[in-house]
Amino acid sequence: MADFAAMQEAVIKGNLGEATRLTQEALDGGTAPAAIVNEGLIPGMLVVGERFKNNEYYVPEVLIAARAMKGAMALVQPHLKEGDIEPLGTVAIGTVQGDLHDIGKNLVAMMLEGAGYKIVDLGVDVSPEKFIDAVQSQGVTVIALSALLTTTMPSIGKTIEALNAAGLREKVTVIIGGAPVTEAYRKEVGADAYAPDAGSAVEALKGLAA
Amino acid sequence: MTPRERFLACYRFQPVDHVPDREFGYWDDTLRVWWDQGLPRWVTHNGLADHYFKFEPRGGVPLNVGLQPGFATEVMETHERYQIIRDGNGVLLKQFTDGSSSIPHYLEFPLQTRADWEEKFLPRLQLDRLYPSNWEQLKTRWMEREYPLGISCGSLYGWLRNWMGLEGISIAIGTDPAWVDAMMEHLCQLTCAVIARAAAEVELDFATFWEDMSANHGPLISPAMFRRHMTPRLKRITDLLRDHGVGIFVVDSDGNINQIVEPWLEGGVNCMFPLEINGDSDPVKLRARYGQRVLLKGGVDKNALRAGRAAIDAELERIAPVVATGGYVPTVDHRVPPDVTYEDYLYYLRAKRERFGIPDPGFADAP
Repeated sequence: MADFAAMQEAVIKGNLGEATRLTQEALDGGTAPAAIVNEGLIPGMLVVGERFKNNEYYVPEVLIAARAMKGAMALVQPHLKEGDIEPLGTVAIGTVQGDLHDIGKNLVAMMLEGAGYKIVDLGVDVSPEKFIDAVQSQGVTVIALSALLTTTMPSIGKTIEALNAAGLREKVTVIIGGAPVTEAYRKEVGADAYAPDAGSAVEALKGLAA
Repeated sequence: MTPRERFLACYRFQPVDHVPDREFGYWDDTLRVWWDQGLPRWVTHNGLADHYFKFEPRGGVPLNVGLQPGFATEVMETHERYQIIRDGNGVLLKQFTDGSSSIPHYLEFPLQTRADWEEKFLPRLQLDRLYPSNWEQLKTRWMEREYPLGISCGSLYGWLRNWMGLEGISIAIGTDPAWVDAMMEHLCQLTCAVIARAAAEVELDFATFWEDMSANHGPLISPAMFRRHMTPRLKRITDLLRDHGVGIFVVDSDGNINQIVEPWLEGGVNCMFPLEINGDSDPVKLRARYGQRVLLKGGVDKNALRAGRAAIDAELERIAPVVATGGYVPTVDHRVPPDVTYEDYLYYLRAKRERFGIPDPGFADAP
């Protein structure tokens, strides 16, 4: 019987060695790979996200937790079959056109992946066309847009306009964030959700899905 | 009052003829955009902008507590829109050359292992540094100065983050805190070694630190991590200078600094800058919380300048009570972005000067 509680704790503590040891033991003992992910690893990462949002955890704890989860996932991945795990959604994430800052975007991607979303990381300086292409070709259900600067923030609005013009806006949920972004700006540009921090991004998307 | 007398009196909560007339600065893009809006084209960088707007002078002791020598800057690849460059910190980065962004995208960091630290960095961080050959002349000149003179104490977290990347230093803090301690200890020893003679021989007015260690909802490390790695070392540096009469220790750190103000104060660093309002680092709130324990610089919301004259007036009204209590030099809360018009910036300067009794200095000619 796999020790899911210990697995969660290993992720929460960012203990890579323990997370991979427990995962391997579970696999060797015949535990279903999907159960390891859904009952051991993801619940651990959700706690990390919650603690980050509440200022109980900071970037170092989040990154070592993500590293532990990634290490464990690398063991599980080869055993997963198509359909074993249904992602909560497929998120195309990127820093908007003209903006090269990826720290916040990477943290959000890490949190969403840890919560069970499939991530399509489009990187930095991403044009509206690239987001549209991701929606059309990769089954994307969520667009996550980040901007650090007041001067690049308008690219969020332009990307949403481009989604509208392409007739894709209704097919995707749009979540936005970044230092100058506010709830008022979300309303102004017609995004579905605004996340003030990486931990809140998971909550915001789950809230919309509920 | 001379600029030096005014600066010291302001930060000692003593009466002043008016608050010091200083500003943070401008993005390079901003100056270029403003050329077409009336700014003289010879104002090509922040130093010349300070000259043109006639801000009060300030001096710095020319000592380096950082990499010496820095890494050789090399252009590795040139593309249509960008170049791949190895910069003076040894960081591989993508720098746009088409004007679309002045801020680079970092690709690879040079400090990833203990071996990197020992082989690439320690040789550039030797403790025995030479003073300028004209040191005695500088000392004589500084004895007659009318401007505040500061000394740079470098950085503990910020430089390591620049050399390691955020992920690198975060993983190191989480998995190998003793190594982080060792690196910060060396930077602390280097700073103390370099500044000790200047502190003993020159009447310094302030010291500066640079960290940039917060995002918009809080610091990049916890207050507990700060207290473990940084506070005791900051205390050693600030104590060394305090023993020689320095009482103003300015730290430049963007974003939301609220959770780490107290650990900074415990380490003797007492002047918070630039107080980004969007990150809730608010001079009004900090003064209410810490009283005269905290000194302040910055704190005028750049977004108010973007929003126009009514917002500028309201923002100056908001901070006026803190200016009146002293210990606070108001400036825009970061470099002015290019979406602030030159006209609105001039309005801000006029309004600030009028409200706080700063005589209008006019504009300077090209030097």
